[in-house]
Amino acid sequence: MSGTKSENPPPIWGMVINQDLCIGCQACVTACAMENNTSFIGDKDIRIGRSMQWIHTERFWDGQYPDITTGFQPVLCQQCGNAPCEPVCPVYASVHSESEQINLQVYNRCVGTRYCGNNCPYQVRVFNWRDWPRPIPLNNQLNPDVTVRRRGVMEKCMFCIQRIRRVEDAAHTEGRPVRDGEVEPACAQACPAYAIVFGRLDDPESKVSKLAKNGRAYRLLEELGTQPRITYLKGDSNHGNNG
Amino acid sequence: MAETVTLLALFADIDPTVKAIDKLHEMGIADNKMDIISGIPFSHEMLGRPKVSTLVPRLAMGGAMLGLIAALFFIFGIPGLFPLHVGGQPVFPIPPLYIIGFEMIMLGLMGTAFLGLFLAGRFPSYEPKVYVPEISDGKIAVVFPCSDEMQPQFTDALMSLGAEQVRPVEAKTL
Amino acid sequence: MATMAESIVLPDASAGEHGDPREHLMLDPRPRGEMNAMVLESMHKTSKKFWGVVIFLVLTIAFALVGAWGYMIANGMGVTGLTRPEYWGIFIVNTVFWIGISHAGTFISALLRVMKYEVRRPFTRAAELMTTFGLVQAGISIFMHLGRVWLAYWLVPYPNVRTLWPNFHSPLMWDFMAINTYVIASTMYLFLPLLPDLAMARDRSTGWRKTFYRIISLGFRGTEAEWKHLKAAMNIFAFAIIPVMFSVHTIVSWDFAMATRPGWASSVFGPYFVIGALQSGIAAVLIVLFMIRSTMKNMKYFIRPEHFDFLGKLSLIVSMAWAYFFFNDYLVPWYGGDKFDKLLLDFHAHGPFAWVWVYMLIGNIVIPWAILWNKKWRRKPWLMLIVGIVINVAMWIERFVIIPVSLTITRMPFTWRLYHPSIEIPLTIGTFALFMLLYMLASRLIPMVPVWEVQEGQNAHTLRKVGKAEVTSVSEVD
Repeated sequence: MSGTKSENPPPIWGMVINQDLCIGCQACVTACAMENNTSFIGDKDIRIGRSMQWIHTERFWDGQYPDITTGFQPVLCQQCGNAPCEPVCPVYASVHSESEQINLQVYNRCVGTRYCGNNCPYQVRVFNWRDWPRPIPLNNQLNPDVTVRRRGVMEKCMFCIQRIRRVEDAAHTEGRPVRDGEVEPACAQACPAYAIVFGRLDDPESKVSKLAKNGRAYRLLEELGTQPRITYLKGDSNHGNNG
Repeated sequence: MAETVTLLALFADIDPTVKAIDKLHEMGIADNKMDIISGIPFSHEMLGRPKVSTLVPRLAMGGAMLGLIAALFFIFGIPGLFPLHVGGQPVFPIPPLYIIGFEMIMLGLMGTAFLGLFLAGRFPSYEPKVYVPEISDGKIAVVFPCSDEMQPQFTDALMSLGAEQVRPVEAKTL
Repeated sequence: MATMAESIVLPDASAGEHGDPREHLMLDPRPRGEMNAMVLESMHKTSKKFWGVVIFLVLTIAFALVGAWGYMIANGMGVTGLTRPEYWGIFIVNTVFWIGISHAGTFISALLRVMKYEVRRPFTRAAELMTTFGLVQAGISIFMHLGRVWLAYWLVPYPNVRTLWPNFHSPLMWDFMAINTYVIASTMYLFLPLLPDLAMARDRSTGWRKTFYRIISLGFRGTEAEWKHLKAAMNIFAFAIIPVMFSVHTIVSWDFAMATRPGWASSVFGPYFVIGALQSGIAAVLIVLFMIRSTMKNMKYFIRPEHFDFLGKLSLIVSMAWAYFFFNDYLVPWYGGDKFDKLLLDFHAHGPFAWVWVYMLIGNIVIPWAILWNKKWRRKPWLMLIVGIVINVAMWIERFVIIPVSLTITRMPFTWRLYHPSIEIPLTIGTFALFMLLYMLASRLIPMVPVWEVQEGQNAHTLRKVGKAEVTSVSEVD
């Protein structure tokens, strides 16, 4: 169906986030914003919580000053296998991609009912509340591989599908399969602590599959049956999975 | 040549109307030549008249069928032509079939009942018709044709049965 | 059968516990011609105060609805107070509120007709008008909510070159189908019993009114065949629109119940919302009847304390049913299980919006139960107006609690944030102003009382002597 290459069975792209390594530097947040042409929304909108970050770092504190420990949890679209955001969109703007097994947001189709935003248990979907300006010369940093969104549409992380496609295209041209680690979303690429690992979960030899079998592995809100594609590795001082 | 004239007899209540209808039967006016026009509905049993059949319920059933077909198209036809996977749900979802099916059946049922009324009652029609405004003031009118010579006989008979007035009428625009 | 000129009084019968029978509209008949004249007079006589109010409403709509909405369309939804996690706010509250109000019209017009409650006769049309105009406001509110409202037509299933169709897995599409069915059906159902009254207005009008009524009365005369077809259609509608009414608000409730949010995924939402709709709708009918009775001429003959009494009793029963469903919905999360459901209940009762939650319970339970049991109080129209307003405010708040307040608590506490509405407030006021304006203008064009149904009912009611008491007896002329 969708996708330039059709493998049978299609690859299942997934991610592992090692919370022991994460230092909360938010390089992933910045890189994602640059890669995906995220708007700069200004302090007034930020104050009411309208940040357009496709990945955000949640911070959890434990203990009393001065014995505080902090845990960091980067949360992004979990690309659920049973995504609750998909069946509720009345116009099919949120659909399951067959060839990447992730959840797609079709900007052109979105009419802005925002049901998907409500139904995401991870609250990772963001909405374009306005047309935020991109004054010259900021428009020069736009990534030509990614469209810009106008007011009234929802958006969210799509595992840098533009990078997945580009690598698959290149591999197909060269007549070879995609190597493990060749596709790197912007967040994984930017992380200085190598906390984010990306790859094919359906390949048992890939780095991400092996890490996902780790004893510290857990998934967010797994009990809801969403089948998230992101595995978190519990850190020493983290408070992930909401306790 | 005897000319026919249309007579309209106005009554204030159902009982004298029914007596008048019986009298008209005796005087040779057949049921299908008479028309009863009233400001509130009276059933054919009350008036002693033959039953009027109406197509509206049957048309409504037909509309309900159309609604069901539309619902089946929405749930099975469209995803069959253009399947899209959402949320781990089956491509042909059955519970939404009941929901959409119910709504479409009801819409078809009521929509065609409404249009059927227009069709059966031949609405809207603005051509001249036999009518007097007193009818919407709650009176009951008995309208029938009779020959010119017989007019005084009919008039006397109906007035003696309690008609408020008996007069010839012509079709005119309402 | 009652004669049409005199009021029915039986000799040597005692008045019994029901007092003077003439206080009941059905036992106080007047000649149809006189009733026609009364209704038409109330339609024609328009005071300067009326036009003053109309101008005020038009100005309110121009600024608070048209102007504010245009501003919002041009600048985006950012001018509202919506944010993550409250992606749905006051616009959806208004949508659910107005759909709820509209259910009372169908309840009174269809359910009471089917169950042969004769007391419904004089105010079915007032209730049906409330349905139609309430649904207009619901439609406007849902359009206001859309991020790209200029593409709203994509929810219509129509063939197109891009082979794109809407998604029937979505509760919003079920909503779309159900609400459209309901709007179309209730507008048709408003028109059907209106047809004979339009014919009556045509017969008694002159000038532009005569032309107007002549066209829309479609040439209706009242022949046997016409009545037969009309009654057949009305019967089908009366029976069919009742399940549609139940399904519409159930499907609206499923917009929330199908979601994974704490406090929303409740299986009792279907009946809970239907009862809530009846609660707010019946209270709204009380308000509308009071306004009609006090502002339109001759309406005091048609709408009497007995009608407020009946609606008050109904409102009490519905309030008890509402309390039952609310308690169901409250008890289950309170008892334990899901941590976030419990957190949400705590947030409702003790958070910053606790005062609205408490008012909701007072307005929906305490005040109706304190006032509506008393027959003397139920027969005071001004008191029923107050009860109606209190209940309606409480029901609006109920939707406010369910939607933006509940949305504050998510399963990811990092995203919790309070909702502060901004442009939603003038837009809400605009929808109320538009409702009132449409109603006021309709009262100039549409006979507010279905006189033919009142006469039909009066014909069917007699007084009978059982022993020494006078008893009302109703013949089934239907």
